[in-house]
Amino acid sequence: MAFVGKRLVDQVRKTGVKATIAQRLDDGFTRFTTGISWNDVRGILRGDPPPKPNSRVYPHTESFWFHIRPTFYHEATTSLYPTFRLGLLSALFFVLETITGLYLMVFYTPSPERSYQNMLDILTNVPFGSFVRDLHRLGAEVMVVVVVLHMLRTFITGSYKKPRQFVWFTGVVLLVITLFLSFSGYLLPWDQLAYWAVTIGTSMADAAPVVGPSVNLLLRGAPDIGASGLLRFYLFHVILFPLIGFIFVGVHYYKVVRYGLSLPPHLEKPGEDSARKVPPEKRVNFLPDIATNELIYIAIAVAILAIAATTNYNAPLETHSNPLVTPNHTVAPWYFYWLQGLLKIPNVIPGIGSLDPFFANLGLTPKVFWGVVMGPLVFVLLFAIPYIDPNPSRRYSDRKVMLGMGAIFMVGILYLSGAGIPTGVPVTHFGFVGGSPASELAQEFMPDEGESEIVALPFEEMVVGDHEARPDANVANAPHLTALLREIGNDMEHRKTVKDPNGLLLSPEATAFIRIAQVQPEVKRVTIEVNYTDEKGAAQKYTKDKFVHRDADHE
Amino acid sequence: MIKLIEKIVYFKPSFTLRIIAGLIAFALIMAACLLAGVIDASSNGLAKRDEAWAARGIEQGAKVYYTYCAGCHGADGRGIDGKGPAVSSQTFLGKVDENGVQVTASERMKDLKWQGSVQQYIEAVTASGIPPSGAFDEIHAQWSNRYGGPLRDDETKNVATFIMNWAKAPITDGTIINAPKPGAGAAPKATAVPLTAAQEAGKQVYLKAGCTACHSIKGLAGGGAIGPNLTNVATNAEAHLKDPTYKGAAKTATEYIHESVVDPAKYVVPQCPSGPCLAGVMPATFGTSLKPEEITQLVDYLMTLK
Repeated sequence: MAFVGKRLVDQVRKTGVKATIAQRLDDGFTRFTTGISWNDVRGILRGDPPPKPNSRVYPHTESFWFHIRPTFYHEATTSLYPTFRLGLLSALFFVLETITGLYLMVFYTPSPERSYQNMLDILTNVPFGSFVRDLHRLGAEVMVVVVVLHMLRTFITGSYKKPRQFVWFTGVVLLVITLFLSFSGYLLPWDQLAYWAVTIGTSMADAAPVVGPSVNLLLRGAPDIGASGLLRFYLFHVILFPLIGFIFVGVHYYKVVRYGLSLPPHLEKPGEDSARKVPPEKRVNFLPDIATNELIYIAIAVAILAIAATTNYNAPLETHSNPLVTPNHTVAPWYFYWLQGLLKIPNVIPGIGSLDPFFANLGLTPKVFWGVVMGPLVFVLLFAIPYIDPNPSRRYSDRKVMLGMGAIFMVGILYLSGAGIPTGVPVTHFGFVGGSPASELAQEFMPDEGESEIVALPFEEMVVGDHEARPDANVANAPHLTALLREIGNDMEHRKTVKDPNGLLLSPEATAFIRIAQVQPEVKRVTIEVNYTDEKGAAQKYTKDKFVHRDADHE
Repeated sequence: MIKLIEKIVYFKPSFTLRIIAGLIAFALIMAACLLAGVIDASSNGLAKRDEAWAARGIEQGAKVYYTYCAGCHGADGRGIDGKGPAVSSQTFLGKVDENGVQVTASERMKDLKWQGSVQQYIEAVTASGIPPSGAFDEIHAQWSNRYGGPLRDDETKNVATFIMNWAKAPITDGTIINAPKPGAGAAPKATAVPLTAAQEAGKQVYLKAGCTACHSIKGLAGGGAIGPNLTNVATNAEAHLKDPTYKGAAKTATEYIHESVVDPAKYVVPQCPSGPCLAGVMPATFGTSLKPEEITQLVDYLMTLK
């Protein structure tokens, strides 16, 4: 018995075997929970009030993960308002993207020769591959939304004010990191969507004076995006940006522990910060209340994401990237639409006049001014908000000017985002870029990339022959084809009578056809053809075609 | 409405509710993972997507075929006389069943003693070209971007898969232009009669002076489609002389060709390979840039093309 500790023997003699085992197990359990005994866990589950002294705060000093969380919240911050848990969700998405990203990394090589094939392999040969890719892509898109909403919430409740200016600063860094992470990941599938969105994005850097071409060259690794650019974006995506992100998440979280969650504005006197002076009866301990609250939020968010990824959402994958073919209507990722919109601001603004003298004074071209000066200036402005806002009060009624400016800013960003896409803003058509009405008609029903209504027809309804698209078209035994021909016919008639934002009309005698030819038993060639007369009176023909395989599942 | 929103944003779930909601959410996550994994596996989700993406590969291959290949191998793969052999014939492809298993061997592969599959042969020839047999005027380009061509590896593979897709129902009747058996290559037809030394010198002038940039002669590699095809220029010259709109001074075919070289504006042939011929396209400088004896040799050579 020499190897058994004397203390153990003494304990057994004193309290008996059963009590000794129970005490020793509880001891181990308490070490595992960094300070909460088994009895206290039972108390938590029963809903008992915390013991005195409160052992439930021990993990906040003992455990790394709990020490970056506050020990208690003010009761008023535990409902959905005022935080909406958006910060928690942002962090959750960051973690979720890391986990799903690691899984995808296993099957991915950053090389123009292999990346696209890797994507196909992930979709067709990797268990859960399609699911995890959907999660990763959807998570990335939602993360941008959540992070922006989190910032918006912080702005609206005035939580960036003293003493939290630097928390806001790290938050803007994290917003930029989120955008860069999403953007760098955009290139990796190496399809047309990826290639051209990133080409457009990086060409904005190219416009910057003096350093622009060098920055662009550093990003792309060559004048155009190729093997070097893909490798660099991959390294940015999986190492540089996540690393900066994790560092700033740490700082951001620590600052929340340091300053506490800001209370709803109406509970504080203007200029006062009482988040750390919570009277005991108003405190809600992190363990167990906040922690369980957060766990359900996380579980619900993940459940929604997972259900969306399994049911409706499919991450897009277009055809292999091709530097020689620019798909019609190429756009940057949606969160950079506003930048594209900025670049479309005309030089002559109605009511203000020409901006050319202004640009001449600055010595900048309009593209440089809007894309390289004003675009980044938005972020400089965001960084500066807490330092330039002189108003100490966080109450909504005291901040009408600031909230009004914020609203104008958001409307402006949304408006410019609308202008960033080829169709432009609804109603005003600001930002519209369209080709001839004939090419737009063809693009509408057979875009160069992405889902096409013609290609999505059921294969057996692709009746070989020439079908004229008219509002009264009719093809026997092909209801979908008939409906589509009528739709194209109506669209064509619309373009003949209503001018597009460029003031162009489709000529009145224009005709449109869908021509379908059998190429192989399972392959058909589908052509959309628009015959029209151009402004000079010359007969023109616009055609576009695609090949469709019976099993390609475009429907 | 505002009351309801207030109720929601100030709502604090009880401990019990949190546990229940958490469990339900957790169950939903598990259900989604089950949907994604188990159901996907039992419904052959991977295999289905594999089939769909393989089919899309064939679509991409079709695009490549009709951009680069159909001009010589034909829209239906039957081949074009003088340009390229059939690629959809049973002789070339053999026959495969629905599962892609080769059921009838390819005679062409047997003749060539090719050790790999037909698909591999197509990929190899597409990528790196093939030594000319002499039966066709066109020389197979090295289409792969590894050798300076336009095609990426995935496109080479896709176009081979598209061509192999004909092997389920290969063409066995109708016009089929098959490649000659190894060693049985036909001699170039247009220059079948041996050239004299002067005519051979004229051929070199033709090649050196850059005529091939716009003109083609069957049997000569390269050649443009801007100016008239000169394969039968000696015969055609006679016809042009009889054209009532002809205003030149030439009386014989030799004089006509000579005139066309040194003073092309005298008469513009109506039809060129890519549409009506335009005046002023052919440079009028050959009368000075070529020596008189070179022009004579050139005309001598062109007169052999009957």
